[in-house]
Amino acid sequence: MSRQDHIREFAAKALADGRVDYFIGWKQGHSSSEAIPAFVKEAAAVEELIWNPLCHHNLVTFLKRNMPDPTGAKIGVCVKGCDSRTLGALLQEELVDKDKLYVVGVPCDGIVDRRKLEKEFADEIVDIAFPEKGKVAATTRKGDRKEFAQDQVLLENCTRCRYPNPVYSDDTAGPLEIEPDRGLTAPDWSDIADYENLSDDDKQALLEKIYSTCVRCFACINVCPVCFCWDKCVNRSRQPELVSQKVGTKENLLFQMVHMFHVAGRCPSCGACDRACPVEIPLYLLHRKMNKEIYDMFGFEPGAKLDEKPVFQVFDLKDQFGD
Amino acid sequence: MAEVNNNQASGAATQSAAPGAAGAAGGAATTGAPADRPVKIIGIVCNWCSYAGADTAGVGRFKQPANLRLVRVPCTGRIDPLFALKAFEKGADGVLISGCHPGDCHYSEGNYYARRKFELAERMIHHLGIPKERFKWTWVSASEGQRWQKVVTEFVAGVEKLGPREGRAL
Repeated sequence: MSRQDHIREFAAKALADGRVDYFIGWKQGHSSSEAIPAFVKEAAAVEELIWNPLCHHNLVTFLKRNMPDPTGAKIGVCVKGCDSRTLGALLQEELVDKDKLYVVGVPCDGIVDRRKLEKEFADEIVDIAFPEKGKVAATTRKGDRKEFAQDQVLLENCTRCRYPNPVYSDDTAGPLEIEPDRGLTAPDWSDIADYENLSDDDKQALLEKIYSTCVRCFACINVCPVCFCWDKCVNRSRQPELVSQKVGTKENLLFQMVHMFHVAGRCPSCGACDRACPVEIPLYLLHRKMNKEIYDMFGFEPGAKLDEKPVFQVFDLKDQFGD
Repeated sequence: MAEVNNNQASGAATQSAAPGAAGAAGGAATTGAPADRPVKIIGIVCNWCSYAGADTAGVGRFKQPANLRLVRVPCTGRIDPLFALKAFEKGADGVLISGCHPGDCHYSEGNYYARRKFELAERMIHHLGIPKERFKWTWVSASEGQRWQKVVTEFVAGVEKLGPREGRAL
């Protein structure tokens, strides 16, 4: 039985039993080349739920605000390993009610980066299929078809994944994936090494270049599962004013700094912001670095253990920072 | 953000070789400003220790550079790393954060939370390409007028060595 069948079965059962009022999963988008979030309200409709390596959306985003919505609603949700850590971060702070949730964990062996595929074609991709395990076949509108090894077109995040299996779930869709031994291996931060080796001036010049294209559309903030003061965001505030309305690199950078510092200790680098950015700003440069430093300072991986508190909400008298 | 209190800084440092410390104020220094202007440094200090420590330094007539403008906040726990970034965005050449020594917080534990944040802030600010010398956080108590003088003098000297920041986004 495939993971997809497991998800459908769990969803149908939970909806039929009244365990949940609605179930959040993934369904096909406008073509088979894309997956989008699905809200299933009836057991009869679970057939639209899918699971494949295109299901990149972190569905925990839909839990962060006004949870539960509507008041008292019981929600079923699918989470991958990385998504479960964002849910873990919300649970650590008791921002969602465990009792009102039904979590289906989906062990995941990596999500395909659609943008990598798009760069291989001049034409629009209308179909992405998975003929066998580890293979991805993309077809364009004009009929160009190319096959790729899945390892070659994975999201950057997935290539160094430490949590393929959900850290928190009520039911698991199929067998668990093989996990790295996290006690023995440290996280791999090699993706930001190039940037870190730059001189101060080069770093500034690069950041200015990258962030000059930001349009402050709030996509990164809206899609972020752990950036939850959404309707009272200081980025939107004009009184007091932290980020001005002026159009400029300065403001763009400060805008991102707000997002970055506000999710410190909660962001597990799920990469949702990177994928949501319409101008493809590599936001991971900042978020991954932040996680690296937090790991270095506290040995803490955000959202990984439910009995921990985010490091910036607690303190330890034995902390050795400062002079 | 909290108000900038110029009186404290100028009261504490009466005579110094910083001409135009008041004249160059007002808005972000980006284009057109001469590169040889005196450096402008924002100090964010807690009301109970470092602000009083700066006062002690002033009362004791310890000579110190006048490049520092102090922002007084209730507690270092109130200081968001974004305050420092906002200062850099507005054209500050350096940011100095100071508060009560661990264990001495007026509110018992504000600075325990704060030091975790500042440590991350320091690392991230450096990651943004702002040299380490331009950002410092430390502890100065109300009675440590001399320590305040030393901290400010050394920090300002470090920033002056790098000179004013011009034309940078952050």
